[in-house]
Amino acid sequence: MAHLHISHVDLEFTVGAERQDTLHSMLRRGLMRHTEQRTVKALQDVSITIAAGERVGLIGHNGAGKSTLLKVMAGIYPPKRGAVAVDGHVCPLFEFVTGFEMEATGWENIRTRALLLGMSPREIDRKIDSIAAFSNLGEFLDIPVRHYSSGMFVRLAFATSTAVDPQILLLDEVMAAGDAVFINSARQRMNDLMLRASVVVFASHSLDVLPSFCDRTILLQKGRVIADGPTAEVVRLYEAQTAVPVT
Amino acid sequence: MTSPMRSSFDDIARSAALWPIWARLGLQDVRLKFRRSAIGPAWIFINLAILVVSIGFIYANLLGQEPRQFIPYLTIGMILWAYLTNSIIDGGNAFVHSEGYIKQISLPIYVYLFRFFISITATMLITMCAFVIVAVLYRLPVGLGTLLAVPGLLMLMATSLLLIAIFAHLNARFRDVAHLASVAMQVLFYVTPVIFPAHLLQNRGRLAWIVELNPMFHLLEVVRRPLLSNSAAEWHSYLVAVGIIAVLGTVSMVLVRVYGRRIVFAL
Repeated sequence: MAHLHISHVDLEFTVGAERQDTLHSMLRRGLMRHTEQRTVKALQDVSITIAAGERVGLIGHNGAGKSTLLKVMAGIYPPKRGAVAVDGHVCPLFEFVTGFEMEATGWENIRTRALLLGMSPREIDRKIDSIAAFSNLGEFLDIPVRHYSSGMFVRLAFATSTAVDPQILLLDEVMAAGDAVFINSARQRMNDLMLRASVVVFASHSLDVLPSFCDRTILLQKGRVIADGPTAEVVRLYEAQTAVPVT
Repeated sequence: MTSPMRSSFDDIARSAALWPIWARLGLQDVRLKFRRSAIGPAWIFINLAILVVSIGFIYANLLGQEPRQFIPYLTIGMILWAYLTNSIIDGGNAFVHSEGYIKQISLPIYVYLFRFFISITATMLITMCAFVIVAVLYRLPVGLGTLLAVPGLLMLMATSLLLIAIFAHLNARFRDVAHLASVAMQVLFYVTPVIFPAHLLQNRGRLAWIVELNPMFHLLEVVRRPLLSNSAAEWHSYLVAVGIIAVLGTVSMVLVRVYGRRIVFAL
């Protein structure tokens, strides 16, 4: 059964060193013999266990570490300390469009994007017609997406990205909230996707979507887990925090 | 799948197994490069043809060479040199240009090295057609010896893949490396027998070492000699080629070990 286990994970971003190092700065540091690296602690001692069948919400202010935590779960960021154990195929859906090439046709882009999301060529053959149908683009699929309007582009990207059958689905903000751009059918399709997955973790700001979908919610603050429990309680705590007037 | 610290070398194996993805992306890169041009990949030939014709006839005269021998030599030399240069310069961007993929999609990062390897190698193989045309025009000897170019080409491809791996890591970490490498390749181009025949230097006792100690020369030779003369290259050229692969292989293994997935933080 799909599950996810994270124990005592620390993650730091080094600002100014690993990010924008030049041979010059490296030399200077080497000569001066003391490091002036600044580190940002993105996650601190985070431990979470999520079992099959769970749908977990992640809330917290901007910069609390929600997206970073999702990327650790996805295996994109290796933690500095601690362990990440994942059983099952992980599908991160933080955005829809990575892999899309403007010069390629709609059909080509469906195949590329689907492969990147972990579908097998045979699975794609099976699903490609229904993806095309949902995108409602008809013969536009034969031409390069460069000619699409932004609405058409989003429809194609959304139709393709939501066709996966993930065991562990990781969603970030936009995907989970269902942007205002998306009509009801898109919301329905998103819900179907979340129901198909064995484990869902999604980061969200929108407190109205969360309770309807997650029994359990985790509250992050400055990279730490502040609360982890029934959604209603955690959301109440979060709202109480937010309600404190900012001086 | 459950081990927390899956080693980077497992990531390489998993990446290799995902060939349907990197093969598609790599070939797509080649196709899309020419999609909006009227004559498509023919540009690769035209580019090469103009270079070969202009350099070829001037240098053949300048250096007192028979065009019949010099033009095919120049053509294959330019093709192979471009392959090595592209591996270092374009391939060096394999991680940097894949940042969007690496940070959004949970595929092992080495998939993107293979992607660049495919597109760079496919481009080289397309230009090889130009050499075939030249070979037919100048009636180059063809026989069993020509087939020895195949192992040579395989060695060159291994070198290309390793160069991509090394420079992708270095360039992600130190963005100056791409510029440095491009300067170095320019210098190497003029000291390596590509646009002049090797024997011109080799015959001048004092300068022979420039050729003999130049690893690039031997890498070119293991492909160039069989194609031009239907015979094997000097045995020590093969030895040097294998040595280069061993050294590059070691360096890339060290880099993979040192950085591993942490390379994402450098992007």
